[in-house]
Formats: sequence, C-alpha cells, structure tokens
Amino acid sequence: MKGGFLHDMAPNAQRSFFVTLAFSAVAVAIYMFGVQPAADSLARETRRKGELEASQNSINADLRGAETVKKTLDELRGQIAPYEAALLEPLLESYAMRAKSILDPLAMGAGLSDISYSDEPFRALPLTKPMARQLYTRAAVRMTAKGSYQEAVSFLLRLEKDLPLVSLQAMEITAQQKPSEQSINMILEWPAKGKVTRK
Amino acid sequence: MNGESFHLNLMKSGEVRSSSPVRLRVMMPLLAMLATIGLVVWWGSSLAQSIIISAQIKTIEADIDAKRKDHSEVMEQQGLVRELRLQIEQLEYYGNGVRAVGEPLAKLAEVTPVRIQMTELSISPLPPQNLTPPGKKGPPLWGPTTNVETQKLVIAGRATRETPVQAMMESLDADEFAGLVTKARKVNSFRQDSSQSKDGRRLLAFEVEYTMPERRFSK
Repeated sequence: MKGGFLHDMAPNAQRSFFVTLAFSAVAVAIYMFGVQPAADSLARETRRKGELEASQNSINADLRGAETVKKTLDELRGQIAPYEAALLEPLLESYAMRAKSILDPLAMGAGLSDISYSDEPFRALPLTKPMARQLYTRAAVRMTAKGSYQEAVSFLLRLEKDLPLVSLQAMEITAQQKPSEQSINMILEWPAKGKVTRK
Repeated sequence: MNGESFHLNLMKSGEVRSSSPVRLRVMMPLLAMLATIGLVVWWGSSLAQSIIISAQIKTIEADIDAKRKDHSEVMEQQGLVRELRLQIEQLEYYGNGVRAVGEPLAKLAEVTPVRIQMTELSISPLPPQNLTPPGKKGPPLWGPTTNVETQKLVIAGRATRETPVQAMMESLDADEFAGLVTKARKVNSFRQDSSQSKDGRRLLAFEVEYTMPERRFSK
C-alpha cells in the first residue's frame, strides 16, 4: 500500500481512472450548466405554452359564442326598450316639468283643471345581486288639480293605457262645494335613472 | 503433484479492487462516457424541445394578438349582456310593483249607493324610505332593505243610514276590487255628523280604512 491508491494501480487502470474522472467532471458540468437550466427553461416554456393554450382556447370559445352573445344582446335591448322609453328624464333639471309635458294632455283631455306639478322625493328600488352599474329609481311627481271624481278616474284610465309603467303612489280626492271641482292630489311615479355604482 | 491443483497468485494486494479488475477498468470510463453522451443528448433534446415550444408559443401569441380586437369586442358585449340583465331585473322589480287602480276606482263609483256622499278618498302616502345602514355607520344604503310596500285606502263620507255604507263595503269585497283593496278593513269612525241632508235628516259620518294589496318590488 506504499505510494497510495494511484501508485498501486497499473498504468492502464490509472488511465482508466483519469478518463472516468474527466468524463464524470464533464458530465456533472453538462448537467449543472446545460441540462438543468435547459430543463428548467423547458418546464417554464411548457407551462407558459399551457397557459397560452388555455387562453387561446378560451378566446376561441368566446369567439365561437360571439353570435350567441350578439343575439342575446339584441334580445336584452328589446326587453329594456319599453322601460327606457318610459324613463322620466328631467326637463331643464326638473322632473316635474317633464311630467307636466307628458301628463298635461292626458289631464286636460280628461277634463281636469288648475293642474300643477311639483317634485317629490325619489324612492330607491331594491337592488339586484350583484348590483348593476346603472341603478334605477322611482321618480315621483305630485300633481294637484280640480275636477270631478269621474274626471280623476278618467285621467287614471288614460294614464294606465298610455303610460303603463307610470304608477299611482298616493292619492287624495277631497270633496268641495261643487262636485265638479273636487280637490285632486296625486303622487305619480315613474322609473328613472338612479345612481351609477361604478365607472 | 498428482491430482493436486497449484494456485499461483501474481496480483499485488493493491490491484485487488473487484472480482473483475480488467472489466472495471474498461467499464468505468465507458459508463462515464455514456453518461456524458446521455446528458449531452438530454441537453440537446431539451434545447430542441425548447426551440419547438418557443416557436409554438410565438404562433399562439400571434394568433391571440390577431384575435385580440374581436375578442375584446366580444368581452365588451358579454359585459354589456351582464349589465343589461341586471338593469332589466331591477326594472322588472319596478314593473312588478306598478299598480293599476283606474278600473276598480271607476267601478267604485258604480257600486257606491246614491245615498252616500263621499267626502274623501285617499291612498295613504308612503313613509320616507330609510336608507340608513344598520348601526347608522357608513354612507346611505344603495337600496331599501325591504321590497314590499303596504298602503291604506281610506273612504270617508256621509250617509243617512248605515245600510248604504254596509252595501258599499260588501260590494268592495268582490274580486273585481282585488287590485284596489284586500278584505282587511277597519271602520275608523261611524258617528253622527253635524250636517244635515237636503230633506233635513241628520247625516252619519263614516270613515272606512282598507288595506291595499301589497306592492311587491321583486321578481
């Protein structure tokens, strides 16, 4: 055992040992600086490709459904149209004046006189879950007039026929000396645009 | 010597490393070389795969980029669909709460006996909406906590006797008035009035309060 491990080896064995050592060193270097980073990079790219494929599939699925979405959108626009047509929009920032422009022909047609309008507090509608971006509210306008009970009822019948989304919120008909000049007080409500919950 | 084997051991003790020292001497570098070649192949294969996948990624990205505009339009439309559905739902809450009382009020005039002189007909105003959050903390609520509203219809008038009033109340129990009143009613007052009828009879004043059908602002 004198001279150590290598010294005791035959020259061929020594050569073999060094060649083995050299190859092993090269192999380790290749693994550490070549294979391992390449495998990591491959794993990353495979993952990225998977994500992109999922995204691509989702996009393709969305695009395949584009026609359905468009059709649904058209249907929904059709459904909301009657409500949008019935919305009370302010006239020069006054809801009462807009109501006047809508209701005067009906009220006068029914025979009511001394008609006046004023704004009443709005009432919030129950919320959907989740909330829509654009909320709607119940706009209220007070109408006071003089006329007979029949004229008041005639006005309500015309209103319900011509403006089916306008509702009677409160009413007071008080008898006066002349039956044709009863005091009529009504609070009428419309759907109107309310608050915007988010941009 | 006959029949007996003779074994001569010429190996040095340091050379005894395995049962087959010659094969080990050849196999070890060979295995190391094969391992190195294997790793080179692995490396090469990984690089090749990486190149292929990179090319595929570029293709997919190009495809996604090409569809991005159409897709964003579709996404916008999908968002609009969701928004419109919610808006319609809330407007339907309103639509379901709409009350039509014209017809029953017209019929009320028909069923009211002539001997009744109506002095007041009113649908009670609604109390102010409470949009204060529980505990009075934070900003006002976006919407009410209840979706039902109940109001009263008050009919007040004068009559010479109780029978016309009774007849009117019985008439109001009919189904045709279901949109105006429920069967829940309360006679608030029935008393002698200070005024007199044209024929000089003392009149009776009455006030009947009906609970109106609920207005339900829901689906």
